[in-house]
Amino acid sequence: MIRNGAAMGKISFFFKEAFGSLRRNYFMTIAALVTVFLSIVVLGGVLVFVFITDALLAEVEEKVEITVFLKTDPDPTADEVSAMQAQINTWPEVKNVTYVTKEQALEQMKEDYADSPEIFESLTGNPLPASFEISLVDPQTVDIVAARFEGDSIVDEVRYGKEVADKLFAFTDQARNFMLIFIVLLGIVSILLISNTIRLSIFARKREVEIMKLVGATNWFIRWPFLIEGITVGFVGALLAAAAVLAANHYLLGRVSDNLAFLSVPVDAVPYILVTIVLLGVGVVIGAIGSAIGLRRFLRV
Amino acid sequence: MIKFEDVTKIYPPSTVGLERVTLHIEKGEFVFLVGPSGSGKSTFIRLLIREIEPDRGRISVGGRDLDTLHSWKIPHLRRNIGCVFQDFKLLSNKTAFENVMYALVVTGNATNSSKKKAVEILSLVGLGHKADSYPHELSGGEQQRVSIARAFVNHPPLLVADEPTGNLDPDTSMGIMQLLYRINKTGTTVLMATHDREMVDRMRRRVVQLEAGRVVRDQKRGGYGED
Ligand SMILES: Nc1ncnc2c1ncn2[C@@H]1O[C@H](COP(=O)(O)OP(=O)(O)OP(=O)(O)O)[C@@H](O)[C@H]1O
Ligand SMILES: [Mg+2]
Repeated sequence: MIRNGAAMGKISFFFKEAFGSLRRNYFMTIAALVTVFLSIVVLGGVLVFVFITDALLAEVEEKVEITVFLKTDPDPTADEVSAMQAQINTWPEVKNVTYVTKEQALEQMKEDYADSPEIFESLTGNPLPASFEISLVDPQTVDIVAARFEGDSIVDEVRYGKEVADKLFAFTDQARNFMLIFIVLLGIVSILLISNTIRLSIFARKREVEIMKLVGATNWFIRWPFLIEGITVGFVGALLAAAAVLAANHYLLGRVSDNLAFLSVPVDAVPYILVTIVLLGVGVVIGAIGSAIGLRRFLRV
Repeated sequence: MIKFEDVTKIYPPSTVGLERVTLHIEKGEFVFLVGPSGSGKSTFIRLLIREIEPDRGRISVGGRDLDTLHSWKIPHLRRNIGCVFQDFKLLSNKTAFENVMYALVVTGNATNSSKKKAVEILSLVGLGHKADSYPHELSGGEQQRVSIARAFVNHPPLLVADEPTGNLDPDTSMGIMQLLYRINKTGTTVLMATHDREMVDRMRRRVVQLEAGRVVRDQKRGGYGED
């Protein structure tokens, strides 16, 4: 019981020390807070950007479909068509196949050009081809699947926006690598800045630390308040940053979807809770590592 | 209580701090460490609390051999030695009460009764009414009494004071002296480095005199100078 009481007393003592020192050195505290805030705002911005581009890409990828136009002169027989459809359905890459008949194609076209029905006046018969529309499980397999139709006797043409798809994939891969590097660099910079801030604040209290040691304080007894200081700064900075990033995201997303209807970012593209937790975690870790580095040199008395 | 066996400390590159000092101090003794400036008094005390290490020789304090003492045990050593410094070494952003409390909390067994203990010891040194003052609001003599209170609040078996009256007026010095004397009466061993000739002469206690890092006199009931 007594030991327990003593431990509690020690913990509350550490917190009192940490907050007292944060208050006394308020200038340092604000400097460190701003540093953490800015780093984590950038990190959070990148994170939100990743989520949004991911959501957009997912949308675009959804739209990477293969359209297989069948020959028209002569049109393939119903048997040939159903054989091909069955064949396509056995491929594991394929998510969904739809057969669009010549008549459906014409209907669709009439719908699309409902404003100018004169186009269809001179039309005799139905010149449009039937087609298969194929969506894929993994859009990256588009090349492989498309190649299988080459030389098929009833296939006229395969379309799948090859260049667009290829470029898009190359871009997303690159963007992801780039952002990863950026985030790592940013993390290092903020740890250095915080450790420096803590080091300065310890340096200012070098004499105090010396006295503490002479009075019989262990290294950990001296360390804890500083660690709590660093972690508090990291946590509060991250909390403010998370609030700022999410508020900005909310506001901008609203503006974008008001003005650019075609860029439909799903409302839940950015998981707010996850982002907040990640940013807070990063803030706490940065604060802890920063103060640990800042402390290291001063406790070798 | 304290054993120095043939201890030598050289500050790099070649300044002699202490040279071949052998000295035994028993439990309960009151010992004055005298000698001119630069003779090695502070060096002796800094070796005692393991602030520095000797180049040769062995030191043991309260049965602990400092030579083989693990560095993580140094805090425990220091908690058993109350230390009073010439420049007080008070934590400037803590009140008198908080400074005394600090010595209690570092031991890790501070309890509710600790606060009472800190208040009591401050009253004992005559500063009950200044418990909430910060060091810069206190006079030199008052600050020194706070540091004595801090050194003694854990009732350590050994109290070491490095010129505790160094820059205080004679009356205040005498007050501090009496405090140390009373502490010694409770059974605590007291070692005090000083330049204060008058006080040493008056107390008639054991006197160890250093010169250029060597013990040149060790007298049971001595005065500051040779008799
Ligand atoms: N950190 C140090 N580095 C180098 N030399 C030192 C150091 N500390 C003390 N000295 C030297 O060691 C010798 C003994 O010094 P010490 O401080 O022990 O003397 P002292 O008896 O306490 O003197 P005072 O009465 O002035 O306090 C002196 O010559 C001093 O210059
Ligand atoms: Mg000295």
